[in-house]
Amino acid sequence: MAGKLSKVASGIPGFDEISQGGIPKGRTTLISGISGSGKTAFSAQFLYKGITDCGENGVFVTFEEAPADIIRNTKSFGWNIDKLVKENKWAFVDVSSDDSGSVEVGRYDLGAFLARIAYAVEKVKAKRVVIDSVAVLFTSYQDQGVIRRELHKLAANLKKSNVTGIITTERQFEDRQISRYGVEEFVSDNVILLHSSLSSQGERERTIEVLKFRGSSHDSEEVPMLVTVEGVVVYPRLKPKPGGKIFLQKISTGIKGLDKLLCGGVYKNSSTLITGASGSGKTITALHFIVEGAKRGEKSLFVEFEESPDQLYRNAASFGWDLEKYVKKGLVKLICHYPAGLKAEQYLKLIQDTVLAHKAKRIALDSISDIKRIYNERKFHTFVTGLSTLLKMTDATSVLTNTTPQLLEMKEISETHLSTAADNIIILKYVELEGRMHRVISVLKQRGSKHEKDLMEFEVTSSAGITVLGPFKGIENLMNGTARRILQMELGNGRKEAERDFIAEAAAGKI
Amino acid sequence: MTAKCLLKLYILKQKADFQKAIETLKSILETELKGLYLLEVINVSENPQQAEEDRILATPTLVKVSPPPVRKIIGDFSDKEKVLAGLGLTTEKKEKVSPG
Repeated sequence: MAGKLSKVASGIPGFDEISQGGIPKGRTTLISGISGSGKTAFSAQFLYKGITDCGENGVFVTFEEAPADIIRNTKSFGWNIDKLVKENKWAFVDVSSDDSGSVEVGRYDLGAFLARIAYAVEKVKAKRVVIDSVAVLFTSYQDQGVIRRELHKLAANLKKSNVTGIITTERQFEDRQISRYGVEEFVSDNVILLHSSLSSQGERERTIEVLKFRGSSHDSEEVPMLVTVEGVVVYPRLKPKPGGKIFLQKISTGIKGLDKLLCGGVYKNSSTLITGASGSGKTITALHFIVEGAKRGEKSLFVEFEESPDQLYRNAASFGWDLEKYVKKGLVKLICHYPAGLKAEQYLKLIQDTVLAHKAKRIALDSISDIKRIYNERKFHTFVTGLSTLLKMTDATSVLTNTTPQLLEMKEISETHLSTAADNIIILKYVELEGRMHRVISVLKQRGSKHEKDLMEFEVTSSAGITVLGPFKGIENLMNGTARRILQMELGNGRKEAERDFIAEAAAGKI
Repeated sequence: MTAKCLLKLYILKQKADFQKAIETLKSILETELKGLYLLEVINVSENPQQAEEDRILATPTLVKVSPPPVRKIIGDFSDKEKVLAGLGLTTEKKEKVSPG
């Protein structure tokens, strides 16, 4: 009999995704949350965007903040409610501090309240109404039965005129009780909960959850919500598509010797973790990967947390790569953004939007450790989970770098959940051998493929970047950093030359 | 008392019992303030704007506009003493003297 409940766009980015279409049309939806959970901002945005994006005029009934305060507070979102009021698109019904200090004698109803709302709806031909927040009614009037009855009547009136309503109410605590007075939720078939808590770092963390939409499907997950400079934004969790494509094709990392270790490169759509101490060559490995893509005309994204674009250009230029040219050509997109400026959800969304819009085939992220340092553990986990879901959703191949505090810390790799998320793990490392520092590269794991297990020496030169030289044969304990030669063996010519150079330079007093 | 007491009564005429509330109120006023008051009756469904200006939500609401202070009584006026007390017109004068 009843068709699918139709919905109107909420005007809150991300919300229509979790609510599968927005706010139920011609119905009244209850939004409940503790103080500071974002109820006013959410509902004001519903009204504002309704006017600016959908051409649906609105009425804002305010119990708590005076209209002037709402107009002023939302200026920081870049909104001009004042103008909409003048254009007769937005009407306030100001009921803040009304009826305070009045005496109750006998029976009454809220006839004037409903008449004022009806008048305002008529005046601007409203399609949306917000009442923020009805909790005040429960403290202003003694007869709660009257309030409940009048709210029912209000919801019925709105439904009759096909007006979409939002009623906010207060929760006292983050507990099982939906609303403070325990009756509000019976007014509406649709309930949205806003949660708010302080993190261990004293940061306010908000989430949103659609508790029920009668006669309509919706996600039941609690997802992050932020009040940003552009208003309220909801961040739905990425949903991995089951049965994703599996690629058997391998692509080059841009480093010949590494491709050889990987038996032909990394699988397309795989993710590779490059782990090593600071200065071990992670950024340049990531650059190799991106430049290789650009040379092949593949689009890529480079996410860099610590360096500015100019630093990155200079870095690349020192190996003879014109990264700036690739960026200008549109082959490479850069996101150089220190994580602290954005919340984890925002950062993930930025990466997601860029990857999807740019259709990046290669993604490098340098480094995931910066994310770990900035955000708390829970947010970091959310970020990594979201990122790996995103990477699997696309057909992009990715390289993530991870900075280990020193030497090789296996514990560090597994702790971050990165080891299971990554298909391939490559270790970069310095070792000391007979009074000299050597650079080591090795493939720890490659999912679905065999790979060479050798520890290889590599060098970094300005002409070629990373060049893999050859295996360390006859040496043990390399990974502990206290390598020892177990057999005198002939090393490659390259090594011999290097040693000769070293001796020559030492003799010349350069070292 | 020299100046007349100025009163506004906000009602919703759709309600069946609005007439009874008016009568109850008038009988109180006629016994206690005969010739000393002016009562204006406003139907909120016809004059929502005026309800807006006077910030009325409940019906019936009686507003004593003057003499100051402004006072509001909500309900059907079924308790005469409470109505008079609410208007600040109660006959029994029990001045509170704060000690010290």
